[in-house]
Parts: sequence; structure tokens; C-alpha cells
Amino acid sequence: MNTTSAQTTQLYQVFIKATPDRIWEAIVKPELTAKYFHGARITNDAQRHISHGPDGELWGDGPVLEFDPPRRLVHEWRSMYDPDMAQEQPSRVTWEIEPLDGGYCKLTLTHDRLDGAPKTAASVSGAGWMFVLSGLKTLVETGTPLADG
Amino acid sequence: MVTYHGRVEDDDRVFKALADPTRRLLLDRLFERDGRTLTELESELAMTRFGVMKHLRVLAEAGLVVTRKSGRHTLHFLNPVPIRLIHDRWIDKYTAGPSSALADLKRELEEGT
Repeated sequence: MNTTSAQTTQLYQVFIKATPDRIWEAIVKPELTAKYFHGARITNDAQRHISHGPDGELWGDGPVLEFDPPRRLVHEWRSMYDPDMAQEQPSRVTWEIEPLDGGYCKLTLTHDRLDGAPKTAASVSGAGWMFVLSGLKTLVETGTPLADG
Repeated sequence: MVTYHGRVEDDDRVFKALADPTRRLLLDRLFERDGRTLTELESELAMTRFGVMKHLRVLAEAGLVVTRKSGRHTLHFLNPVPIRLIHDRWIDKYTAGPSSALADLKRELEEGT
């Protein structure tokens, strides 16, 4: 087993009390991502993943590799919001939504292929994706963004 | 894969999982380097393979460890989100105000020695 590949794979999982459709919507619609994703307006469609910051600046732009609503979305990730990180190799983000009993879904986010993007890897780990996912959970379950709660 | 019965989002599971030094050690090991096999984790603990498996199962049921197949290996990943949610629910609320002042005082006194 190559240990460096493991270090450059990050995995986050959260249980959300909502339908797969509602969670999917929160991931692909810019008016919803703006409420939990550091203010970013993110559009994911079958072709591209495009992210704009609150002032319209381009924060991310990459191909969508898999688009299977409301279950699975795979897109390239480039951290264009930071000049240093923007120079790094693209990485990959996978969103998986799995319905469970009791009206819950399991949302798993995998950020991998980070070998060529060490600064991005450090930046999104720890509070990075956790903040986004706990914000998404709060938004979908309560309808209000975490920061305003 | 872990099967959940009833309410899947249960703080009790997380607190119970964290209330054991071996399980906290396993989380620390995964924090240092993620995506490890059972064999790797077992080699660092003075414990049987079965014992480590048991602890990993408790951590998985609490959602703190997530496994992924990679070829013929099963890799264990730390999932920090449940701890973050507990932090949001149980810690944020209490860190504002007097308890925070006492925590600051404690830190200051301890660092000052």
C-alpha cells in the first residue's frame, strides 16, 4: 500500500435528515450553496463545476466527471480563490448521497487526487470541509444557514 | 457497512466512542496519517487484532471512522464531522460568557508556570 496516496485522500461523512433530492439541490444550486459554502455561488451541471465568490470573482472552474442526480456527483477541484493554490494540480471531489431508514441520508464527501496540491490539501482539511458540511446539514434540516443561527 | 437502527444521529454514540483511551488513540493515529489498514493500526497497539477490530467497530458506528475498499485492503479514514457537530452543539454555546473567562484564566495560570 502506497501511504502517500492515503494522505492525499480526505473523507468526510455526515448524516442528514432530508430527502436525497433536497440534499442534491443544496449541492448544485448557487442560491443554496451561497448560504453555507463561504458565500460561494456554485453551479454543478452535467458538464461543469463553476464557483463564484460573493463579489463575482471566479473561485473554481472544472469539468464534472460524473453527474447522477440525486446520488453521485464527481467534479474536478481547483482552489482559484487563492493565487498560490490556483497554481497547483487539479484534485477531485466526490459527493455521494445514500438514503437510509428513518428519513435520513448519508452524505459522504471524498476529496482525493491531492498529490499535486499540498496547499489545497492542507487548506481544505480540518475545519475546511467540516465547516461546509455542517453548514449544509443545518441549512437542509432547518432552512437557515449556520452562521445566522 | 454499518447498519443503523432508529435514530442514526446520536450524540450518545460519539460520546461513548470517545470515552475510551484506546479509541481516542486510534483517532489520533488516523489524524496523524489517514487511510490505514487494520494491520497498520494493530501494529501500533499492544492489543489483539480482534480487540482493535472491536474498537474500530464502535468508532464506525459513531460515524467517527469510515472505511473504504482499495484493492484487497480496507482503509480506515477519520471522519471528524461528528466531533464538529458536537462542538457546535455543546461547546460553542458554553464558550461565550463566564465559562470562557474561567477557561482563559486557567490557561493563563497554567501557561504562566
